[in-house]
Amino acid sequence: MVPVQWYLLLSAAMFCIGVFGVLTRRNALVILMSVELMLNAANVNLVAFSFQHGNLTGQTFALFTMALAAAEVAIGIGIVLVLYRNFEDIDVGLPTTMRW
Amino acid sequence: MATIGEIAPAIALLPLASFAVALASVVFAPRLLQKGGAIPGILATAGSLVLSVWAFVHVGGGEPIEQELLAWAAAPDSFELTLGVLIDPLAALMLVIVSLVAFLVHVFSLGYMNAEGETGLHRYYAELGLFTFSMLFFVMADNILMAFMFFELVGLCSFLLIGFWFREEAPASAAKKAFLVTRFGDYFFLVGVVGIFAAFGTGRFVGSEGFPHLAEEAIAEGHEILGMSPETGVMVLGLLVLGGVIGKSAQFPLHTWLPDAMEGPTTVSALIHAATMVAAGVYLVARMFGFYALSPTLLAIIALVGGFTALFAATMGVVKDEIKQVLAYSTISQYGYMMLGLGAGGYVAGTFHLMNHAFFKALLFLGAGSVIIATHHTHDMWKMGGLKEKLPVTYYTFLAGSLALAGIVPFSGFWSKDEILYESIVHGLGTDGGLGVLLLLAFAFGLLAVFFTGFYTFRMVALTFHGEPRTEVAEDAHGVGWSVKLPLIVLGVLATVAGLVNMAPLDVEYLHSWLDTTEEAGLLTSAHHYEEVLHDVAHVEAATLTPIATAAVSLGLALAGALAAWRLYGSDPQPHTDRLGSIKELVGNNYYQDEYQVWLAEGVTLPLSRAADTFDQVVVDGVVDGVSSVSLFSGRRIRRIQSGIVSNYVALLTAGLVVLLVTFAFMGGWF
Repeated sequence: MVPVQWYLLLSAAMFCIGVFGVLTRRNALVILMSVELMLNAANVNLVAFSFQHGNLTGQTFALFTMALAAAEVAIGIGIVLVLYRNFEDIDVGLPTTMRW
Repeated sequence: MATIGEIAPAIALLPLASFAVALASVVFAPRLLQKGGAIPGILATAGSLVLSVWAFVHVGGGEPIEQELLAWAAAPDSFELTLGVLIDPLAALMLVIVSLVAFLVHVFSLGYMNAEGETGLHRYYAELGLFTFSMLFFVMADNILMAFMFFELVGLCSFLLIGFWFREEAPASAAKKAFLVTRFGDYFFLVGVVGIFAAFGTGRFVGSEGFPHLAEEAIAEGHEILGMSPETGVMVLGLLVLGGVIGKSAQFPLHTWLPDAMEGPTTVSALIHAATMVAAGVYLVARMFGFYALSPTLLAIIALVGGFTALFAATMGVVKDEIKQVLAYSTISQYGYMMLGLGAGGYVAGTFHLMNHAFFKALLFLGAGSVIIATHHTHDMWKMGGLKEKLPVTYYTFLAGSLALAGIVPFSGFWSKDEILYESIVHGLGTDGGLGVLLLLAFAFGLLAVFFTGFYTFRMVALTFHGEPRTEVAEDAHGVGWSVKLPLIVLGVLATVAGLVNMAPLDVEYLHSWLDTTEEAGLLTSAHHYEEVLHDVAHVEAATLTPIATAAVSLGLALAGALAAWRLYGSDPQPHTDRLGSIKELVGNNYYQDEYQVWLAEGVTLPLSRAADTFDQVVVDGVVDGVSSVSLFSGRRIRRIQSGIVSNYVALLTAGLVVLLVTFAFMGGWF
């Protein structure tokens, strides 16, 4: 049986990759994908601890997170579409007028 | 048929109706009401007089009238605020006086206002009606809050009437002054009313539930009043209410409004001085005498203020040149006597003088009004003279009033003034401690004032009616009509005989026994009850002294004053007071009371308020403005981090998360 530390390391690695992607990429779709990575890192964490404690609640939560991620992607894609319609591009550096 | 007990409020409501009629006729039908609304006023006050006499007779049967009209605010398990009618012997007496004087003033106004072609008569009669209504309800009030409300209405009406000729500068300013000065006293009264409600939970004047009796019990049992010892509590509350009394009854140092109030019509002066406005203050002391009698300090203060005012005002009356000014100062002086009487524990004496003064002062003012009409609105006594032959009715009634004012036997003023002086000396001699000494001092003031009273009264009579006419207006003075003569005759008779109801030196004490009439009903307002309270609580004792002695001394002084005035001004008057030099200067300027009060207002209050305003503008507003400018400034700076670029936001979020994690890590001791 794989000890839980490996799962945690995997999840931390995935999360860091996600954060890195969100911070460095300008393409909205890539940012969206990075967010998915971060969410799934959390999922791995949940499932790993659930497995460790023999408690199914964590796995149930992972299912909920997936549903949430799906919803989030729907909204994210919608924003990306609007972005494309307005700027002919999906670079997140373009829209800068929504401020004070 | 309704009994008087049921329709008692109508005594006051009738003048209110005349007010409404006069007011409505101005708005809807100015030509409909003949004589400018005088007739409804005369009818209403006549009705009030009839009902008052009926109530007087009813109360004389030993049954006081008590009726609750309206509980307009009630707090459960606490107190309720009510309007109610209470007619005990004191109120019944005062009702008759007020409605009689008001009725006669209305009749006199026909000759003084209507016949002289005044304009604005509807307004005049409407205000007179409202004035009478306010005073009558004040007299009938059964609790102190209701009394306060009508006390204020009386003040408002006097403001309106003093400023009747508001288009000229002097009356408007006098009205304002009267209102402001009396308001100053009323602030204290209002605080006192609240204090009485807070301390006793009731404002009732009478009965075992009334606040005077509750205060008496608190003193007997040693309960605290508002966190103070009961004696101090009663003194503080009594002094606060006394503030209103001193303002309304024109006692030193709030007397300055009254001489200026002479700018109003003379009829109004008669009403204000004799029966309504000024009388309200002294009546309030008599009304809650059971409260004042509890504290020797309060009694001493009342007596001292009264005695001092009596002398102080009398000296100013000596040098005045206008007939109404002399009368104004005599009013202040006479109300000083009433305060002296009440403060000395002479409840009957003070009430007695209140009654007599109402008659003779109304008479003197109306007499002065008659002289003023006859001489084509001359006020200066030096321009009169020799009016005796031209105005015989006015002269003889005015003389009767003057004899009463000066206190010459057997006219009414003699009996009451003498009783006041007698009460103050016997209680002053008999009582131990400070109260006794102060009463004797007040007595000395009062006794000295008798001489001045006699002097200025007969100086006025001599200058106005005797000698040769000194100007053309005095020479072709015309006669006056019946509406002027009738009130003068009625009041002249009363001023002559009213004193006979309580000739204390001769053991005739009808008024005393009248004030004891309803003793059985448990109102605790009888003169007998007050005597017990004075003796048991305030420890006022009476020395034995024959009343004849003080009577002889005061009569001697009054006659001396009168004869001195007669010799100086009788046949060929000269301005003798000019020989007094700097004293005349001082007294003629009213001891610079006005100047010092103006200085208080302009030299002290104004800079103080300016400083307070500056403090508010600079410090208080500065702090508030400073706080807002700090947040505005930092807001302008901090908003720059909101760049509109999504990546920056994400970076900030992440940085924040990292900072948070590190902080938690340190606090949790992970490192």
